[in-house]
Amino acid sequence: MDNLMIETRQLTKVYGEQTAVNKVNLHVQKSRIYGLLGRNGAGKTTVMKMILGLTSVTSGEAYVFGQNIKGNEKRIYPRIGAIIETPGFYPNLTGTENLQIFAKLRGTSKPNAVKEALEVVGLPYKDKKVFSKYSLGMKQRLGIANAILHDPELLILDEPTNGLDPIGIAEVRNFIRDLCVERGKTVLISSHILSEIALLADDIGIIHEGVLLEESSLAELQKKNSKYILLQVSDTAKAALVLERQFHVKEYSVQDTHTLRIYDTTLDMAEINKTLMLENISVTSSQLCNDTLEDYFKKVTGGEGIA
Amino acid sequence: MLNLVQTEFLKLRRRKFVWLMLLAALLMSLVAIFYFGAANTVEITPMQFYKWTAFSYTPWIILPLVLGMLCTMLMYDENQNDMLKQLWIIPVSRMRYFFSKFMVVLFYSICFMLLTAVSSISAGVIPGMIAFTSDSVSFLFIKCLEIGILTPFAMIPVLTVAASQKSYILPVCVTIVYTFLGFILLMVNMYVHPLSSTTAIFMRNISGVVMKEPVHLGKSFLCIGIWAATSTIWAKVALNTGK
Repeated sequence: MDNLMIETRQLTKVYGEQTAVNKVNLHVQKSRIYGLLGRNGAGKTTVMKMILGLTSVTSGEAYVFGQNIKGNEKRIYPRIGAIIETPGFYPNLTGTENLQIFAKLRGTSKPNAVKEALEVVGLPYKDKKVFSKYSLGMKQRLGIANAILHDPELLILDEPTNGLDPIGIAEVRNFIRDLCVERGKTVLISSHILSEIALLADDIGIIHEGVLLEESSLAELQKKNSKYILLQVSDTAKAALVLERQFHVKEYSVQDTHTLRIYDTTLDMAEINKTLMLENISVTSSQLCNDTLEDYFKKVTGGEGIA
Repeated sequence: MLNLVQTEFLKLRRRKFVWLMLLAALLMSLVAIFYFGAANTVEITPMQFYKWTAFSYTPWIILPLVLGMLCTMLMYDENQNDMLKQLWIIPVSRMRYFFSKFMVVLFYSICFMLLTAVSSISAGVIPGMIAFTSDSVSFLFIKCLEIGILTPFAMIPVLTVAASQKSYILPVCVTIVYTFLGFILLMVNMYVHPLSSTTAIFMRNISGVVMKEPVHLGKSFLCIGIWAATSTIWAKVALNTGK
């Protein structure tokens, strides 16, 4: 696909006897936000480092703008802005001075690049506060400012909202969204916070123990999330019998002695309630439910949920 | 490359210790004032005085220790704060990065030795201990420049150790051992240690200095060159592997 800004093929990283990333095939399309979702230690940062050529690849290939980054660094890097892990800066310099150094090294021609980048992330220009005195949130903002300083086409952001307060997270989310929608930037963002990815990403990749378990658009994922009728009844065994006999329901599951899920949502809930009551089964609750993305994540990873 | 060197100097803002270390250039001049003052020598030649202030412990011990500390400081922040990956994706070439650090060390070393020269003249002439002669002053400045230029090349191994470590402990320990080893080996074999070879080169034509054996310039430069080249290759490997 010509539209791919990042593509990995069977990307694998092995540290000693531990496989950190296992045959990952990732596809990031132009002008879209790709959320790489996974628990801590799932391999998100390693994938990003391999894409950026910051760590060696054990096997497989990573392509950025259709080119292998190895040997094409001078052409590719100026088109990328990235934050990998916690952004580090010179502790004895102010935010502005730090960015001026990076702007100089990048040969940024735009005269107000530093000022504009700081404004975008809500940090003051020419402030006297040195980086060592910055809060974690301010450090993270400066990292984002540095990533967008040279107006790159592609942003690779590894957990960019770490340490930000809820308002800060919302601000960063909005400006990443604006960058994508208004300026056509492509964003690869990783996070272990599911709600954040669900609110921001167009496409989602779920990575678990180094394996990319799922990759699809958010819309497709939401479609896959099953709908069901949740029934709270006095006796699930009796209720199941009634449902099978009178409504011919086959797709249902008994959660516990009082809870039952019916996966055929076309059934008339009022009719079910009435029938169960007539069969002397009391119904304390009946509602139409939707699996959340977290439920889906649990299902895919076969384990615990995610924040 | 020029941009890199410029940014290296920008990074030194508010680093008081870097500038405070320059005060070490005045140390031997102060010692000389007390030493010659107490000795009450009738006539001190400028060369005798400068040997004390600029050609002895300053290039043997003080300057290498100061440069070793500087090398460690230059590398420490970027290593400790995990900044290198941000530089590599600009992209900044590993070797240019290393040489830009070396350029700062070279510039600092020259400034240090010029300050040593100025303080030597001031400490000798102002109290009237020595006469101000153009020959001795120009010789002092030439020798200080020689020392200021050669010593950073001899310190490249320490810069490499600093580049390959996240911590400052090993580079500081290496600086101390490396400096004193250079001083000790000067009496044994001048062409084994780069600092000994540096001493051999600048001492070759200082009157009144008797070396153990005649100075062989080729061997001295070869020693410095081999150590510098090997260290540079090591630095390239270390920076590439991201240690």
